[in-house]
Parts: sequence; C-alpha cells; structure tokens
Amino acid sequence: MNRTAPRSIDQYLRQLREELAGADAALIQDASYDAEEYLRAEVAAHPDKSEADVLELIASTYGSPEEVAGAYRDTEIKVKAAMATPRKIPNSRMGGFFGVFFDPRAYTSLFFMLLCLGTGIFYFVFAITGLSLSAGLSILVIGIPFFLSFVALSRVVALAEGRLIEAMTGARMPRRPSYQGNALRFWPRMGMMLKDPRTWSTLAYFLTMLPLGIIYFVIAIVGLSVSLAFMFMPIAVTLSRLGLFGYGAVDVFSNVEPAIIWDTPLAFVLMIAGLLLLTCLMHVARGIGRLHAMYAKSLLVARTAPGTMSVPIEPGPLPAHTRRFPQWPAS
Amino acid sequence: MDDTNGRKFQKELNGGLVGLVLLAVLAQSDADLYGYEIAKRLASANDGTSIFKEGTIYPVLRALSAGELLTSRIVPSYSGPPRRYYRITDQGRAVLAEWRSIWEGTRNFVDSFINKDLP
Repeated sequence: MNRTAPRSIDQYLRQLREELAGADAALIQDASYDAEEYLRAEVAAHPDKSEADVLELIASTYGSPEEVAGAYRDTEIKVKAAMATPRKIPNSRMGGFFGVFFDPRAYTSLFFMLLCLGTGIFYFVFAITGLSLSAGLSILVIGIPFFLSFVALSRVVALAEGRLIEAMTGARMPRRPSYQGNALRFWPRMGMMLKDPRTWSTLAYFLTMLPLGIIYFVIAIVGLSVSLAFMFMPIAVTLSRLGLFGYGAVDVFSNVEPAIIWDTPLAFVLMIAGLLLLTCLMHVARGIGRLHAMYAKSLLVARTAPGTMSVPIEPGPLPAHTRRFPQWPAS
Repeated sequence: MDDTNGRKFQKELNGGLVGLVLLAVLAQSDADLYGYEIAKRLASANDGTSIFKEGTIYPVLRALSAGELLTSRIVPSYSGPPRRYYRITDQGRAVLAEWRSIWEGTRNFVDSFINKDLP
C-alpha cells in the first residue's frame, strides 16, 4: 500500500493501525504500544531534531508501518501455531460429542465459570466503591485526582482480567496496556478519560461481572452436582448397602428406592443420563468461555485507538519536562 | 539495480535469526534491556544500521517471553509509555546454546560451498 511517509508519531501509529486493520484488536493494541515506546524513545534521544525529522529516519531503522504490521502478523501466526495444543479431530459424530473431555479448554472454561463468582464480586465492589467515592469526593480537592487514579487502576485490572481470560479460554487478549500519553496536561487528560468510551465500557464490564459470575457459578455447580450425583448414586447406594460407605454400617440411602442398585436397568439409565449431562455441561462451559471472551474483548479492548492518537501532537521538539529528567536507569 | 531479490533473501534469512540474536544480546548483557535499547545495540554493532528492521524485534521479544525464554518487568518512562525490560532465563540460555550450535553447523555448511572460488 503506497501512502505518504508519516510526519508525526500520531500519523505513524494511525498508519500502523490501518495496516493492521482486520487483525485481532488485542494484537493492534500491542503493536501500537510497542511502536509508541520505540518512537517516543527515539524522539527523546534526539532533542535537537523535530519529531518530523526523526520520523523521516524511522522508515530505515524501525521500519515503515507496512513492514512492522507484516512482522506482527507473521510472528502472531507462528506463535499461535507453536503454542496451540495439538488436537485430534474426532472423525465421528459420537467422537465429536464426547471429544470435549479431551479438550483442556473445556476444563479451564469450567474452572473460569466457578472463578467468575469471586472475580465478579471483586470487580463489582471495586467499581461501585470507586464510582461512589469519586462522586462523593468530587466537591473536594482530592476528588479529581482520586477519579483519575480510579480510572487508571481500572485499566490495570482490565488488563489482568484479559490475561486471566486468555489463560482460561485461549482467546487472544492484550498483553500491553493501552497507553494514554503523558505529554497531556491535567484537564485535557481528564476530559479524554471522560470522553473515552472504553473508560465506561470497562466499568460496565465490571458491574455486569457480578450477575454473570453468579449465573456462571450456578450453571457450573448445579450441572456438576446433578450429573455427578446421577453417575455415582447407583455405586454409592450399593456400597452403602454393603456397609462400605456411610457412617459405620448405617445405610445412608435407606430412604432411596431399593431398586437403585448396580444391576437394575434404572441404575444404568441414571448413569448414562449423568454422563450425557456432564458432557453437555462441558460443551456449555466451552461455549460460555468463548462467548465471554468475545464479550470481554468488546468491552475491555479499544476498537479504535489508544488515547494519544485522537489528540494531535504538534511536530517540533519535545516539551521541556520530557528532556529535563534523565533516562530511567536500566538496572 | 532492483534490489527486490536481495531484500527478499534478507527477509527470509532473518526469519529465525532475530530470535537467536536477541537471546545472544540479552545473554551478554549484565543489565536488563528494553526494546529500544536492544534495537540500538544491534544497530551500533553494524555501523548504525541494523540488518533487520528494528520494528520486527518487538513481536519476537514478546514471543520469546511467551515461550518462557525471557522474563520481563515494567518500568515507568518519562519519554513515553512504561518500558518493558527483558532478562534471559535459564531455559533461554539452554535454548541459546542449542540454537548456537545449530547456527554454527549451518554456517559451516553454507561456507563450505560459497567460499569456494566461484567461476
């Protein structure tokens, strides 16, 4: 794709995002972050040159947006192929149905459903506390810094949630936070945070995680307990009648229909029903894992751009405060 | 002269070499390094221009980190977003030793042909 060479970091990042159009939103966020880290370091390393002059050199050192986008796409494909767990594709419908037991994602998604109750409560409390305190403190001097810190912290929590979702469901989520830029003054930054739809979608995600967490937890617990009870009740009843299970020799299933023992058709039907139910639960867990990952990605990952890109940066030397401080030591 | 063939050949060569070079740079460094710093070290070793585009090292650093060959930590920066500093792991050093012997074998093999007098 032929286009004019970027003259500012803002333009470079915009072109990079255009080159990556159609790629995973999480990949675009990572690529923009890496590019911004490099470009800003390069501009800071040449305080005597304007941003436009430094950008002219970038094409031969860092690479054009097109080349960098190509590198990200290639590496992503290679890493995905190398990290993917090889799966046997079942060749029958029956194998496809029960094959879910050999898919590690089904187990991790089921675990994620149980975990969601805990994380859901935490996110809900975090969001409600942050919002209430921000509103309450807004009449005081510390109100606005408090709100800014709360929003910044919510992005860190959102990144951690993304990492958790990627570990549990395998969906690609950002590995770098979205960077807001530190050259902005206080009020523009405040305004940008308020105007950024991702600030509010992140909070909406946190709030909805409580009801979702409860629903996931109930589905997982009810599904597991009912299916496992169906599967193992005939065995438990038989063991109990033989005096091998329960308190001493007391038959703990004395009120259960005497017919439910090993060799009756009912016991067999119950065990099959339990197994089918458990298989369905594993399919549901895997499906919920995938759907939840899509839901999280739509609310936690910016579709368009991290903040700086919407704010034009004037070409020219860096603001004085970025030159005054020494570079961070690499210790 | 059209240098498309040259560039294509260089790109194909770089495919696996970037990872090897990054592991080697981090293994030789006492301090943790971040992406920009590594890019500049590579460039300074080749008279100011890197053999490969510096933008291509970031996704490879991330891939090496995902493969547990590198560990990383984040440090705030005054010039831009917080920087990710990388350090090689023991597993990374073991892989580097293996890759190095593969590279030396490959290099000797290739040299044995291309160092002969060409007609």
